[in-house]
Amino acid sequence: MEQIIKQTIQKLSLPEITFADVRITHTDNEFIAFQNGYLRAYGTNLDSIALGIRVLINGCWGFAGTQDLSNHSIDKAINTAISNARYGSLFQKNKVEFPPLSPVQAEYEHHPEQDPFKMPKEEKIGYLHKLAEAIKPQGKIVHSVVYAMFMRQEKYYTNSEGTYSHSTYYNTLPMMEVLASDGAQVQSRTWPGHMGAGRAGFELFHKHKFEENTERIIREATDLLSAPTIEEDKADIIIGSGHLALQLHESVGHATEADRIFGMEISYAGKTFIKPEMIGSFQYASPQVNIFSDSTDPRGMGYHPVDDEGVVGKKVDIIKNGILVNQQTSRQIAHLLGLEPSSNMKASYGDDFPLVRMTNFCLAPGEGTLDQLIADTEHGYLLDFTKTWSIDDNRNNFQFTTEIGYRIEKGKIVGIVKEPTYYGITKEFWNSCDRVCGPEEWDYQSTFSCGKGEPGQSMQLSHGVAPARFRNIDVRVKI
Amino acid sequence: MKNLEYLKNLLDAHPELQYEIIEQYWTTDFLRFYHSQTNYNISKEVTSLNATIYKGKKSFSFMLDNANSQTIDNAVQDALSIIDKLPEDPYFVDLENDKTLAKPREVINNIEVVPLKLKTEVLARIANAVAPYNFDIFGSFVCNYQKYRLVNSNGLDKISVSSPYYLEVKAVHNKSQVTVVEAFGGEDFQYFQERNFLDKLLQKIGYCAYDIVDIEPGTYDVILAPRCLGEFTQYLAYGMSARALDQHSSFFEGKLNQKVFPEWVSVCDDPNDPEMIHKDYGSNGHIYRYLSLIDQGIFRNFMCDNYYSHKTGLPKNGNTGSCLKIEAGEKTLDELIGSIKRGLFISSLHYMNFINPKETSITGLTRDGTFLIENGKITKVVNNLRFTEKIARIFEHIQALENRSHPVPFSGNYSIFDIETVKSPHALVKDFNISSSTKTI
Repeated sequence: MEQIIKQTIQKLSLPEITFADVRITHTDNEFIAFQNGYLRAYGTNLDSIALGIRVLINGCWGFAGTQDLSNHSIDKAINTAISNARYGSLFQKNKVEFPPLSPVQAEYEHHPEQDPFKMPKEEKIGYLHKLAEAIKPQGKIVHSVVYAMFMRQEKYYTNSEGTYSHSTYYNTLPMMEVLASDGAQVQSRTWPGHMGAGRAGFELFHKHKFEENTERIIREATDLLSAPTIEEDKADIIIGSGHLALQLHESVGHATEADRIFGMEISYAGKTFIKPEMIGSFQYASPQVNIFSDSTDPRGMGYHPVDDEGVVGKKVDIIKNGILVNQQTSRQIAHLLGLEPSSNMKASYGDDFPLVRMTNFCLAPGEGTLDQLIADTEHGYLLDFTKTWSIDDNRNNFQFTTEIGYRIEKGKIVGIVKEPTYYGITKEFWNSCDRVCGPEEWDYQSTFSCGKGEPGQSMQLSHGVAPARFRNIDVRVKI
Repeated sequence: MKNLEYLKNLLDAHPELQYEIIEQYWTTDFLRFYHSQTNYNISKEVTSLNATIYKGKKSFSFMLDNANSQTIDNAVQDALSIIDKLPEDPYFVDLENDKTLAKPREVINNIEVVPLKLKTEVLARIANAVAPYNFDIFGSFVCNYQKYRLVNSNGLDKISVSSPYYLEVKAVHNKSQVTVVEAFGGEDFQYFQERNFLDKLLQKIGYCAYDIVDIEPGTYDVILAPRCLGEFTQYLAYGMSARALDQHSSFFEGKLNQKVFPEWVSVCDDPNDPEMIHKDYGSNGHIYRYLSLIDQGIFRNFMCDNYYSHKTGLPKNGNTGSCLKIEAGEKTLDELIGSIKRGLFISSLHYMNFINPKETSITGLTRDGTFLIENGKITKVVNNLRFTEKIARIFEHIQALENRSHPVPFSGNYSIFDIETVKSPHALVKDFNISSSTKTI
């Protein structure tokens, strides 16, 4: 592969090409799905190869992707990428440009504790089958799922500046869910929630203590059928790590992808309420809130030695003591904003066009444990395990529902509520944050499915978070 | 398609096995534009071979991208080495056995018919037309060509070729950010009438000259544009699947042949409408036919594939809701708008998600043009709004439908970029629940 990618970039040293890069991915995927205790689907997609060529000609990007690494196919892709850039430049007002970077060479290989692709299939199936049996329909449980997805990706990247990078990593998505019904309504509980993926192998199932939580999700889903809803208009809420990761993702992560400032995502994912002049002065959040993008931490799925346009991994403050100080950028956009590129350009597979993406997008820890935070709360709700999410075109108005809420009275959890739903405006919400738990509660929460771009790409990324409290939040949504 | 033949021959040597193999070739020419200029052009080719092998009630699947005989041999060996050790799916009975072939039709490769140069010329003309109003255009102009062949051990052998195109233009005011959208898609580019497309876009731009206001949360009488009613119907159709029924998540559980909506509401899945993107085959290769879903307010059918037909006992039809059509009513759009004293015109929806699919409760936002209607006329631009509703309640509250339906293209943007159409009229809906404002355009 190294030879192929280096030969390809050499073929792109043409006078009219001002910048070019090539990426190749070699990906293995495996998925296992149990439903109601029986194996519903088990499959693999192994040795999937994808190559993408991106060229900048006349200030316009052209791109071609293929899964065929034969000389003929690569030559065809080169010609197509060049032709796409040439014709695209016929409908162009402002040329794409950015300053050069010094070349870097990088190697990285991640080793999971339990390589899911080397484990015997029977062992994986046996473990998951046991979980599936434990949560299969019983009592008021009418439907259940145990799901696993494993991915190994080897990525090669090179560009016309001489940068070369080769990295390999494993990501795993473990999940189980039960659905309870009393005939009139259904309620669900998942474990470990929608952000339970991670940079890991099969050991992630053990880390998340699946066996120890089968009874819990059955009990809670059943109890939710008779649980009350939140009745007051406003309440203090503590958001648990799994759901807070999504809150961070939607209302800060996507909002600070700077391609949205320039309208590059209007046609699909949307814009952002952020304007360039806000950088450096906008009070995005309370002073307790510090948020950063960190592609240098190998514990998260957003780690990379070099991003998909040759920028070395970086830790960049996005919100410092509540003030918006930076953006997630590409080289082109960083140049337009007068910033340094933040190493956030990513392509899901080799034949995908790189986009500004979150990597490890994190809320910095504060102080104290979750128990201490609950004890410090007179009346409120601990919300966790995302059920639904929605945010507007500008990343300004969001509304979330979690599977369960734990009612807090005088510093203690005293009951549960079903489908707790809250909404807010991004700035007001993050300015209402008065406390973030400490490093002992801080960990990565990760997803396999952040959608962006056209044609669509599903990115795997992480959020480092600890539970946090938000005061006087609107919880009066009635359905 | 020689890889499919190679794999089929390998599996035919094992009479104890059943199998389904799908080989798919998909290619796209994808122009994305912003601020009235090219963002990037992507050309991409994907070839995949998908197989599911069954031994009794045990199964294993594999997918190979750009397969060759070596990778196929390895995958089959891998499957055969594990399949006996897997737990059974007790509900698997048999593979699809519907051998009906779709009527052959001529398919034009739109990647060749609408080359990049032509795309940029069309876009330049649209950009020039909106520029005097201080609008720029954003969006995508896509042509796909895809070929699909499915075979299974019951003797099915089906080939389907399609080449849809899709143009979506959002015109955004450079100062106020007020946005309107116009889209067109289909399979024959001759149906694309540039003048007509531009006229509709410019008419919407005309509404953007009004003042921008915010409104209070509450219930409003609204006009839902075809793409909104179409999108609500797509979400509602989730519950019309036998799979959702089996998973206890269907609103329509226990409602077969019962009146669920007003009698002027009829919804079907119709692959034969010439204005819509055609579909030859549905789930597992079953022929795709017209299917009535809601007939004059009565729920008539679940969409059901072979597996869930065996599991639930419902009749098999193979429909997937890919060609949804809401029947037109009797009023003109002007009459619908004219009947509202104070309400909203909603052009497009954004980021919808179910809160509880069985109850059809949902939240989402308006986008790309929300307008205030006062005394029967559009009078203001409104900030984008959040709604929290039950889709079933929205359909129950449909007061009247426009007297014509409009094809609306939708892109399925995960995995490969798929293009489908929904056909829908404008609808007048009472008491639509606006739960908050975004305070932005």
